[in-house]
Amino acid sequence: MKRKLVIVLMAWLLFLLQSTVFGRMEFLAAKPNLMLILTVAIGFMQGKSEGLLTGFLCGLMIDLFYGGLLGFNALLYLLAGYFSGRFSQIYFDEDVKIPLILTALTDIALNFVVYVAAFLLRGRVSFFGYFRGVILPEAVSTMLFTIILYRLFYKINHSLLEKEKKGKQSLWIKG
Amino acid sequence: MKKKLDLKDRGRHLLVIMVIVCIGLMLGALTAPQMVAPVRSAAGYVVTPFQNGINSVGSWLAKQLSGFRDVKKLNEENETLKKEIDELSQKNNELVQNQSELARLEELYQIDKKYSSYPKLAAEVISKEPGNWYNRFVVNRGTKDGIKVDMNVLGQGGLVGIVTNVGENWAEVRAIIDDESNISAMAANTSEPCVVTGNLLLMDSGKIDFGGLKDSDNQVTEGTSIVTSNISDKYLTGLLIGYVSEISLDSNNLTKSGTLIPAANFRNLREVLIITELKATKEDES
Repeated sequence: MKRKLVIVLMAWLLFLLQSTVFGRMEFLAAKPNLMLILTVAIGFMQGKSEGLLTGFLCGLMIDLFYGGLLGFNALLYLLAGYFSGRFSQIYFDEDVKIPLILTALTDIALNFVVYVAAFLLRGRVSFFGYFRGVILPEAVSTMLFTIILYRLFYKINHSLLEKEKKGKQSLWIKG
Repeated sequence: MKKKLDLKDRGRHLLVIMVIVCIGLMLGALTAPQMVAPVRSAAGYVVTPFQNGINSVGSWLAKQLSGFRDVKKLNEENETLKKEIDELSQKNNELVQNQSELARLEELYQIDKKYSSYPKLAAEVISKEPGNWYNRFVVNRGTKDGIKVDMNVLGQGGLVGIVTNVGENWAEVRAIIDDESNISAMAANTSEPCVVTGNLLLMDSGKIDFGGLKDSDNQVTEGTSIVTSNISDKYLTGLLIGYVSEISLDSNNLTKSGTLIPAANFRNLREVLIITELKATKEDES
């Protein structure tokens, strides 16, 4: 329970950071997608169910606070969380390689869908222009921040899991 | 083994349920947009106070840093500023005289209202769109300050955008450089209409597109100012959008298109002015 609250809190905090501080960082070619990093990390560490719920929460926040169609981002992030949850069986330790590839893949896929839905359908056909101008820079900066943040997420999740286990054990002993 | 299978199914069931929820939300938002607005407005309370806080911490830090300046330097500055005040007050006197003269002449020529006469409200930019596709931002004023959707937003120098969403204590502004922005505009010197559109691919070079301009006499050249048109239904007339940077004849040999440099500075957007007057209400009154 406590761990789930912490995930909600982290999603909220990352949203705040991404919409304020990261918007002002001019040296970054593109804003990293912090919410997606969290979604993929939770999915990869905890499996499909938690991954998709975290994704739903993150996407819904973006939908609520930043216009667009309500539920659109929620659906995309949800699928990203579910997809990365599929790989949770090969999860060993705090190795950052697989989540790194997963964030890059989901980020590109997610932005591709956004491009098709919001740009291509309005007649903006130069896909490679947008790929070079938006999709690729975002994927790169998101990967960069995955390296920094994944270990942090891992440690937070791991320590809370330990506590949960201990709590359950003591409860069982008492019972 | 059986337990593992159950777990797998649970994930899949949850996926199906949540996908249906998302699609339901989308359909709901499409069919009944008025239902979404109050939810968004309420949700603002979870985020805007904190975004406000983060920004004030940032500006407080900046102030503290600048506070460490040398006292000696400040004294020197004080001296020069005092001198400057003397000069400026003299200049001001002249300007006041000019101003009254201008007012008289304006009356004489019945010049249209400039945007100095529109009622305005200052607002602070508290957050930007989290992704990289759009150029929208949120300011710390909302319905309780009288902000409504479609109000025009000005920055230093010219038009910045338009209010697209509004909550109790926040308002979302779509910048004119956003890819989905479309403004009915005109050339200031010929009053010929054209359309100004944002372009994501041009954003890094700091330009926006314009097109459909009739200019058979070649009067519109580099540097001509483009302002909002009187036939626009959302933008008030005569707000400066930018200056023509490139212009060329379209393949139809009738209209011209090109790029323009926005007059407002989008790099460091901190404070904006919202014109608290809607174009429609103005027409209703007259």
